[in-house]
Amino acid sequence: MTGHVRTGTTAPRAPWLTLRRREMFEGWLFVSPTLIGFLIFFLGPLIAIVIYSLSEWNLLSQQMTYIGTANYQDALTQNPDFWHVIRNSVIFAAGLVPLNMTLALALALALCRPGRGVVFFRTAFFAPVVTSAVAWAIVWKFLLQGEAGAVNQMLATVGINGPNWLREPDWAMVAVIATRVLKMVGLNMILYIAALQSIPRDYEDAARLEGAGNWQIFRMVTWPLLAPSTLIIMVITTIGSFKVFDHIYLMTGGGPENGTLVLAFYIYEQAFEFFNVGYASALAMIMFAIVLVLALVQIMLRQKGSA
Amino acid sequence: MSSLKLRNVTKTFGKTKVIHGIDLDVLEGEFVVFVGPSGCGKSTLLRMIAGLEDISGGELWIGGRQVNEVQAARRGVAMVFQSYALYPHLTVRQNMGFGLKVRKEKPDSIARKVDEAAMTLQLEKLLDRYPRELSGGQRQRVAIGRAIVGDPKVFLFDEPLSNLDAELRVHMRAEIASLHRRLENTMIYVTHDQIEAMTLADRIVVLRDGRIEQVGNPKELYAHPDNIFVAQFIGSPKMNICSADAFAPELTRAGIPMEGVAQIGLRPEHLRIVPDGGLIKGQVALSEYTGGGSLLHVEMEGAGRFLVLSEGQEGPQPGDEVQLDFDTANLHRFDAEGRSLQAAREPVPA
Repeated sequence: MTGHVRTGTTAPRAPWLTLRRREMFEGWLFVSPTLIGFLIFFLGPLIAIVIYSLSEWNLLSQQMTYIGTANYQDALTQNPDFWHVIRNSVIFAAGLVPLNMTLALALALALCRPGRGVVFFRTAFFAPVVTSAVAWAIVWKFLLQGEAGAVNQMLATVGINGPNWLREPDWAMVAVIATRVLKMVGLNMILYIAALQSIPRDYEDAARLEGAGNWQIFRMVTWPLLAPSTLIIMVITTIGSFKVFDHIYLMTGGGPENGTLVLAFYIYEQAFEFFNVGYASALAMIMFAIVLVLALVQIMLRQKGSA
Repeated sequence: MSSLKLRNVTKTFGKTKVIHGIDLDVLEGEFVVFVGPSGCGKSTLLRMIAGLEDISGGELWIGGRQVNEVQAARRGVAMVFQSYALYPHLTVRQNMGFGLKVRKEKPDSIARKVDEAAMTLQLEKLLDRYPRELSGGQRQRVAIGRAIVGDPKVFLFDEPLSNLDAELRVHMRAEIASLHRRLENTMIYVTHDQIEAMTLADRIVVLRDGRIEQVGNPKELYAHPDNIFVAQFIGSPKMNICSADAFAPELTRAGIPMEGVAQIGLRPEHLRIVPDGGLIKGQVALSEYTGGGSLLHVEMEGAGRFLVLSEGQEGPQPGDEVQLDFDTANLHRFDAEGRSLQAAREPVPA
């Protein structure tokens, strides 16, 4: 059989809509709803805030004047309230994050395996997460009232004279941290349960066969294997604690004596009570930077730890 | 001396009984393989011996001591898991020394024992690597090394080769056999692969639905299966089974006693294709070329389909009529309950 060589003919032109182009087009089509949402509701406002933060813009006068970094300089060097607010936010985060994560991990360890009542308790601890923040705050304000509150009445039965939780500056912070932990711990509990369930049972069995007790198994096997999940949980809990607004607004309104005035609530006050949108935007950018730095530090520590 | 003894051992999950009164003696230094289909209870039984599952009833003795209520770590057993269970955050050295560290041995003693085990398994160059940096076979060796380090009385293997590819499985099988010869420890090995069982075991325990079907050395199980289940489970391709009625006249003429015989069995490798004068005949339905020969699917009149191993390159083709012959000593006869009717026999040497 002989082969035939065609001469004088040109190869047919490839169609414009090649398989690669078609797949690319379909790909963009699928991500476009999310992408459009991201551009309109995240990137757009973020750019707007950067611009506002460099301006003096009072909502009442509707006048916007470019003032450079003056808002930032004012917040960082001249406004004593700012550092007080930062201190409160750090105290809130430092109290909430370890308490929330420890409690969530303890609950997850207790509830990660099937057993009698496990579903009930998981539901019970997760229910506050999906409960209305307003309802939660109203109930707790009622429970934490001075002498008439249920918490203090219970303490009185064991001879403890409880403080007026939400009216005393030091105790108000304790109360908002504790009630926030109780509201949100279920979320981290679920994340930890998922992480624990993804650890193969063989690791525990192997360790047990080699003589490890429960504490050694946790310390030497489970905890290191939970590290990636712990990092994620720590980052999102830290970010969440710096962004807390509704809980403070509903429980204490930042009081008493600004004892629970945290950054997100202070930004709200500046923007919507004092109408200093430019200044509030600068504060928001500072908050963004703080949260970003904290997240990066946590990730770097994790990478250093696992290296 | 018996290294491990099970007496009427049972296991119940809730209301479901999964192990039904197992009796077994394993001798010192013996390599015993538990084999059976998925869900037969072989891994559960192994985990009960290890102490990872409670024993619902009966007695378990290891090294002359009843250990029903003894913690897993104090039973003197080590286990190699199907998944290897190597801690991903620890190096090979740390994985192998984990048990010794937990037992608070001195660091220099741990290092010495790990080095010795590493040398036995040729793992010296891998000691500072993490499990993710190892191949499947290397991980397997580390898992075995971790078991060796603790110097256990009994090694337990739970389907240790099932995650390896075919070639590596053959290689590791040979390594495990050679390790057993060197260490001379008692080993109990679980697998669903009868080839693994036949090649490794001093004795095989065939399990079905939580009961022992037969215990014996590989040759004994192959030559004298106690029942149809064992007959079909041991040997590859599996034994042909058909109703005795299909060939009763031919077999009676050949002088084979057929009284009480309900089913007969013939292994594919025991059937010969002959030009004429065969005891039974059929038509080739399918021929699978295997390299050295062919595996024929032969449709037998009134007896269903038989598998026949045909050697050589020019075997019968689909549609050909074939006559089959066999040595009557290789015919297996079973009663209506599927029990073997073979005459009482001498034990087959291993």
